[in-house]
Amino acid sequence: MDAGVSSALALGAGHATGRHVDVQHIWKAYTPGAFVVRDVTFTLQPGEFLTLLGPSGSGKTSTLMMVAGFEVPTEGQICVDGKDVANLPPERRNFGVVFQGYALFPHMSVLANIEFPLSMKRVARARRRSMAMEMLDRVGLADFAARRPRELSGGQQQRVALARALVFEPDALLLDEPLGALDRKLREQLQVEIKDIQRRVGISILYVTHDQDEAMMMSDRIAVMANGAIAQIGPPSEVYLHPDTPFVAGFLGETNLLPVSFEGQQGAQAVVRYADGTIGHARMPHIVRPPRVGDRALVSLRPERISFSGPIEAVVSTHAFLGRHARTVVQAMGQPIIVSTTDLVTPAPGTALHIGWKDEDAQLLDDSSGDGNGST
Amino acid sequence: MAHRDGVAHPLLFLLSAPIVLFLLLPSLIIIPMALTKGELIQFPPEGISIHAFADYLSDTQWLQSTLLSFQVAALAVILGCLTGSAAAIALHNKRFAGKGLVTSVILAPIVVPLIVLALGEYLLFAQARMIGSWIAISLVHAMLVTPYVFISVQTSLTAELNPALIRSARSLGARPLSVFRHVYWPAIRPGVLSGAILGFAVSFDEVVVALFLQGPDTVTLPVRMFTAIQFELTPKVAASASIFIMLATLALIAQALLTGRRPVR
Amino acid sequence: MNRPAPDRIWLLVPVGMLYGLLALLPMGLIVQFSFADGAAHYADVLGSHLLLRVVQNTVAISLITTIIALLLAYILAAALWRASPRGRNVLLAFILLPFWTAVLIKNFAWAALLQDNGAINSLFQAIGITDAPVTLLHNRLAVIIGMVHYVLPYAVFPIYTSMLSIDPRIERAARSLGASAPHIAWRIILPLTIPGITSAGLLVFIISCGFFITPVILGAPSDMMVANLVDYYVHTVVDFGSAAALAVLILLAVLPLIVVQQLLPKEGMHGAS
Repeated sequence: MDAGVSSALALGAGHATGRHVDVQHIWKAYTPGAFVVRDVTFTLQPGEFLTLLGPSGSGKTSTLMMVAGFEVPTEGQICVDGKDVANLPPERRNFGVVFQGYALFPHMSVLANIEFPLSMKRVARARRRSMAMEMLDRVGLADFAARRPRELSGGQQQRVALARALVFEPDALLLDEPLGALDRKLREQLQVEIKDIQRRVGISILYVTHDQDEAMMMSDRIAVMANGAIAQIGPPSEVYLHPDTPFVAGFLGETNLLPVSFEGQQGAQAVVRYADGTIGHARMPHIVRPPRVGDRALVSLRPERISFSGPIEAVVSTHAFLGRHARTVVQAMGQPIIVSTTDLVTPAPGTALHIGWKDEDAQLLDDSSGDGNGST
Repeated sequence: MAHRDGVAHPLLFLLSAPIVLFLLLPSLIIIPMALTKGELIQFPPEGISIHAFADYLSDTQWLQSTLLSFQVAALAVILGCLTGSAAAIALHNKRFAGKGLVTSVILAPIVVPLIVLALGEYLLFAQARMIGSWIAISLVHAMLVTPYVFISVQTSLTAELNPALIRSARSLGARPLSVFRHVYWPAIRPGVLSGAILGFAVSFDEVVVALFLQGPDTVTLPVRMFTAIQFELTPKVAASASIFIMLATLALIAQALLTGRRPVR
Repeated sequence: MNRPAPDRIWLLVPVGMLYGLLALLPMGLIVQFSFADGAAHYADVLGSHLLLRVVQNTVAISLITTIIALLLAYILAAALWRASPRGRNVLLAFILLPFWTAVLIKNFAWAALLQDNGAINSLFQAIGITDAPVTLLHNRLAVIIGMVHYVLPYAVFPIYTSMLSIDPRIERAARSLGASAPHIAWRIILPLTIPGITSAGLLVFIISCGFFITPVILGAPSDMMVANLVDYYVHTVVDFGSAAALAVLILLAVLPLIVVQQLLPKEGMHGAS
């Protein structure tokens, strides 16, 4: 490529482009009173990869469509750098949207697809061409400019879709389950590609998916949605290790939910009494109303944070070898508890042993929100 | 708030309004024209009267033609339903080289110029000394009806027939006739019915073949009207035409009810 | 695995018999009659001063009919496509009612509307466009009006089908890329519906070329089309050989169009993947 061609894009590696996208208290009801999105608030930071994660019907796609402009919020504001865009039609917002199946224009060449947004913005023909070619070069498809979309592989189509959505310098990219219809191998490969292009371009991305692994691997932050509301928002490790609610704990992988009663607070930690009377410590959830002493609650314990050493007596019930790890179910504290280990030594059913965990791996949950039935 | 997507430009509906009027205008004026007091059709009408309907109903020639048209259409529909449904079942879920060609041949009567067909039938039935036979007209109409029945039976077969059902019926030892009665017939029934309604309209409206094959006693209603219209525009013709409009409306309602009743899957 | 019942194919026999007797045999007779005196009938027909005129009429009237019908059908198809479910049903009924009405009735109604003392002339005079009746009937305009009215529903459905096959996400993508409604219509929808337009255009042209009744009722003698010429040879000249030769020529002219029309992809080839 000619190094002298000046691009309108600031495509320096790692440079964050994009603007603050503020979603403030948006509500959406298609029929009066039946809200599918309830009071959703978040800010997409420049350069950030934020994922809306949730099961179908959780409101994640409706939220994205409101940001894109295909739906109008019943209430609330969507601001780009402080300017409310909630009532602008999609063609007058400045977001690059990538759809499931990519929605490339089948009757246009790859080059024409990428030139399309530029010609809509009345960029002169010659400049349009050089910008589109540079973008194609950037996604490694310069040799495919004359092809039709259906002559490309799935991965190449995704790169065209990303190039088309990026070429006009959008304020952010919005991706609506782009990988939803693909098989697992291809999915993983394309996840890497999206992440890679984002890293190089530095654009901020709002991403919708129902796949927790996908969300964990790609996101800077995850907003877990349930019943139209955000149940928890935070970095993947935080959301995974320290879920606030039973739904979040259950939706992001497997967990053990142990019934406890709240016995008080000791510094930043909660003192809890397990069902068998054992007293232990757990992390406090991020909630507005702290529990009162004597309240019934749940503690979430990830199976891989439990080890076969510690103070608690247990008896092995079943054991399964799953390749990467082994899954053992033990009976302890009067209930079955799942333990996930990478040990090669496997305890036979009936073996008596001890289990234990660190205080900070036990997470007290806010059971009051009633935000879902997603407990394991 | 309205769903932003798929909202049409109001201009679109503004533009289609006059086109719809253009489509409906002829159907709308037939019955009012028949209700004129005068001897000729004109606008504005001279006054309201049902004398045209009385004229039509007391004219034995016109009544005979009307009955003949029903008779011709009835036989044509029965035959056309048999051939069309049988062909649709024969081809259902079959894959073989030339299936496309067979389908095109079955559908050909829709697109082949009627005048060519009419000439051929004339030459054929002249040799068979059957010019003026209502059965001859009906047979040709049966061929014209066949593709319509074929299409609608094919549609309901694809929509409603579960191929696993046939296999399991056969594996349970069902004989072909009971496979037809218990598996195919329930699936094709809506298609046969709507094909029959459409086919009836096709036969009842057909002029060209009926014109070529007519005899002194076998003038179908459309042929009689065609001859009359070339002569002059009388309210009597409008009165007989009202029958067509009413039949068309009935057929349309029947079709709507048929499709409306079909279970949504 | 799924071995088709081998006997089912015999169900094609009734159609085969009906078509063999009433299509194949008559076509054979036409060809036989057309060559009754060697090539003399063909020479007669091709040398006839009427033929050129009639072919010109047929092509011109059919082309104009096709163009107008496509234009109007496109608007109706788009309205159907964009209407609410209830509006779509109403519109569909409006489009189908004339489809169910006999061509004869429609032509009769047009004759009554267009005649000198008909509704349209009365309207023109009432609002002062003209003082005396304008001749609207028995000319080429009347034939085209009648024909467009007849073929319009046939043109709507192939176009409507091709619109339905467009993936709605394609339109959403275009909007997110900055395309306004006219841009989407011109650069996305129109190109994606070209298969439907082509199919509709061919179908309408084929149907138009075979018109027989409309030119008789709504046209002048000078608007005679090829089908009327066949009728003329049969009923006026009583020359079956020439009629047959002309029929063969018509078939040869229309057949390639029919074949192309049948070979066109029926569903939209674009859109939903």
